[in-house]
Amino acid sequence: MSLLAPIICDNGTGFSKVGFAGNSDPSFVFPTAIATRGPAAQPSRSGPAVPPRPGHLASKRGVEDLDFFIGDEALANAQTPGYGVNYPIRHGQIENWDYMERYWEQTIFKYLRAEPEDHYFLLTEPPINPPENREQTAEIFFESFNIKGLYIAVQAVLALAASWSSNRVTDRTLTGTVIDSGDGVTHVIPCAEGYVIGSAIKHIPIAGRDISQFVLNLMRERGELATVPSEDHLKVAGRVKESYSYVCQDIVKEFRKYDAEPYKYFERYDGEHAATGRKYSLDVGYERFLAPEIFFNPEIYSSDFLTPLPEIVDGVIQQSPIDVRRGLYKNIVLSGGSTMFQHFGQRLKRDLKQIVDRRLDASSTANGSQLRSSGVEVDVISHKRQRYAVWFGGSLLASLPEFYSSCHTKAQYDEVGPSICRRYQIFGSAT
Amino acid sequence: MILLESHNYIIQTTLAEKAIKPSSLDVQFVDFDGVRFRLSTPERKTSLLLSMNIRCWDELVNYGVHDILVREYGGLVKVQPEPEYNVSLEIDLDQIPPEGEQRDAFIKSISLLKRNALAAPFERGFREQKQLEQAGSGQGELMALHYRDEEVIYVQASPDRVTVIFSTVFREETDRIFGKVFLQEFVDARRLPNIQSAPQVLYTTRDPPLEIRHLPGLTDSEDIGYVTFVLFPRHFANPTVAESTISHIQLFRDYLHYHIKCSKAYMHSRMRHRVSEFQKVLNRAKTEAASVDRKTASGRSMSTFSR
Repeated sequence: MSLLAPIICDNGTGFSKVGFAGNSDPSFVFPTAIATRGPAAQPSRSGPAVPPRPGHLASKRGVEDLDFFIGDEALANAQTPGYGVNYPIRHGQIENWDYMERYWEQTIFKYLRAEPEDHYFLLTEPPINPPENREQTAEIFFESFNIKGLYIAVQAVLALAASWSSNRVTDRTLTGTVIDSGDGVTHVIPCAEGYVIGSAIKHIPIAGRDISQFVLNLMRERGELATVPSEDHLKVAGRVKESYSYVCQDIVKEFRKYDAEPYKYFERYDGEHAATGRKYSLDVGYERFLAPEIFFNPEIYSSDFLTPLPEIVDGVIQQSPIDVRRGLYKNIVLSGGSTMFQHFGQRLKRDLKQIVDRRLDASSTANGSQLRSSGVEVDVISHKRQRYAVWFGGSLLASLPEFYSSCHTKAQYDEVGPSICRRYQIFGSAT
Repeated sequence: MILLESHNYIIQTTLAEKAIKPSSLDVQFVDFDGVRFRLSTPERKTSLLLSMNIRCWDELVNYGVHDILVREYGGLVKVQPEPEYNVSLEIDLDQIPPEGEQRDAFIKSISLLKRNALAAPFERGFREQKQLEQAGSGQGELMALHYRDEEVIYVQASPDRVTVIFSTVFREETDRIFGKVFLQEFVDARRLPNIQSAPQVLYTTRDPPLEIRHLPGLTDSEDIGYVTFVLFPRHFANPTVAESTISHIQLFRDYLHYHIKCSKAYMHSRMRHRVSEFQKVLNRAKTEAASVDRKTASGRSMSTFSR
C-alpha cells in the first residue's frame, strides 16, 4: 500500500491552516473558532453535559457533545440562539483542551475526510511552548485519534524551511532570524540550527490589525470615508492595505512624487455595500506607502511603542550568542500576511545594513582604525509562499523521506508514554 | 455533526472557487478508506482534471462501476485515466452551468465521485433482488469489496432481502471495547418503537456470519468484528430512499470509527473536568502555612523550609 500523504495542521490564534503534505497551499484556512451549545463565557460550572437519565444504555441518547460548528460555520452561527463562539487558542497556546479536541475531531472527519489511523501528522507549536502542552497534544492525537505518527515542529523553524523554496537560498540551513507578522502581533525569533534561542525573542505590538486601523485613520482624516457606510470602514481599510500598499525607500521623495503627479499615483477604490448594494468609491493616496511605514517609523501611529523594526531585529541578534550572529544576519526570513508588502524585504535589509555598518565604523574609529572588520553580510529573504510560510514549510518537510523516521510512532508512544514528545529530532537541513 | 456527509468538501470548495476564477492548480488529497484524489490543470486553466485512486477498483469494475459513472457524469469520464489513478473526470470550466442552483448541483455531483463509484455493488445487489423475487428462489452472487487492507464489505441478494456484511478491525484495545458497546447499542436501539423500520443489525465478534463462513482466508482473531445489515425492499424500492441507503451504508465504517473517537473525546473532557474538581478539593485541604517567626535563644530568627 502506498503511504497516504501526511496531514499538516497549523493551528494559529486567529486562523488554522490545514492540508496535505506535498501541496503548495493549505486545503483549508478557517478561523480557529468553535461554536458550541451554551454561552460563550467559558467556565461552565457543571462541566460537560451528562445525559439526564441513568439506567439502560439505550436511554442515554445525549448527543450534546456532537452539536457544534467550527471555522467559518462557527462564525456564521454566532448569532444563532443557543450557540456561543469560543476561541480555544489564546496567544498561540491552547487554552481549552476540550474545545480543541473537538475542533480537531471535526477538522479531520468533516473537512479533511481522512482516517487518522492511516496518516502521519505534523503539528506546529509557538516558540517557548511548555512541554506539558506538547504532552497533552500527543495524548489527544495518539489516544483519541490513534494516529500513525506525530511530529510537532516549532513554527519559526518551519518558516525557515519554507524559505528554501526561494531561488536565492543555496544552502538549506535552519539558522536564521524569523520575522513573523500575522494579525495580532509581530515576533522576531532567532533560530540556531533548528533550535529557537528563547532568551532573545522579541514581540512587537504592531501587526496587520494596526496597519488596517492606521489606514482607516488616515482616510477618515482626509474625509474619504464620508460616502462609505460605517460598518464597511474596517473592511475597506483592509482591502486598501492588501491591494494597494507598498513600502517606499524614502518618505519625503514619495510625498513629492505624489504631489507632482497625483493622477499617476492616486488610485481609485470601488466598493459596494453588502446589504443595500449601493455603490461607492474613494481615492487611495498617501496611505499606499504610509501604511507599512509604521513598522519602520512607529511614531506616526503609536505613542507608546517607538522602536523601529530594524532596530528590534538588530537588538535580537545582538542578544544571541556571538557565534551564530553572522548566520542570523545573513538569513532573515519573512513569514505571515503582514510581511507581504512590496519591497518590505529590501527596505528592512537597507535599514539593518545601515545600523550594522554604523556600528562597525564606530568600533573601528574607537580602536584607532588599526583593525578593520571585513563587514557583516545582511540579507532578507522574501519568497512567494510568505503568507502561509509556516504551513508550507511543514508541507515541505513532511514530504522528505526523513520525516517518517523523525516522527514518534504510535508504538513508541505506547512504549514510553506522552513524555516521548518532549524531544523532537531536527531534520532536513543540509548542514 | 452526527452523520458524516457523503460528498468531499475539498472538491466542492475548490471547484466552486475555480468556477468563479480559473487558475492553474495541482493538489492531491484523500478521502475515507484510503481513496486518493488529484485535482490538476494539466493543459489550460479552464480544464480541470479530477482523478481518483481507489483500492478495490478491479472489483468495482466487475460490479459495473463504469455504467454508473457514465450515467452520472456522461461525457466527463475520460477513456484513458491518468497514470496511477483509476478514473479521471475532465471538467471544462467554460462549459459548466451558470451560477446558481444548477451549478451548485453540478459541483455537488462531482464531489460525490467516491460515493457513486462505491455504489456499484449495492445497486447491483438491489437489481438482483428484484430478479430473484420474480423467480421466487435462489441466491445472488456474494460480492466482496476489499475496501481497506484488512476489511471487507460483502453484499448478497436474496429473494426477499439484501444482506450487507462489514468486517471491521479494531487496532486498539480501547477502540474494541468502545466498538463493542457501540454496536450492541445498535442492536438495542432497534427495539425502540420509533425506529422499528430501520434495517435489522446483527453483530458478532470473531465468528463470521453464516453467509460468509464458507469463504477462505477469513482472519480469525479477537480484533475482528462482523456487522450484518439486512435490507428489506422497503429500504430500496423507492429510488430516493435507495440513494440515501447507499450513501449511509457505505460510510458505516467511518461513521463507527468517528463516533468511537467522539466518545473518547467526550470521556476525556469528563475526565479533565473531574481532575479539576479533585484539584479544588485538594487545594481546600491544604493547611495555611504557619508564619510564626521563630527565634533562637540569642534572638536571631530561624529559617525553616515552609513545606
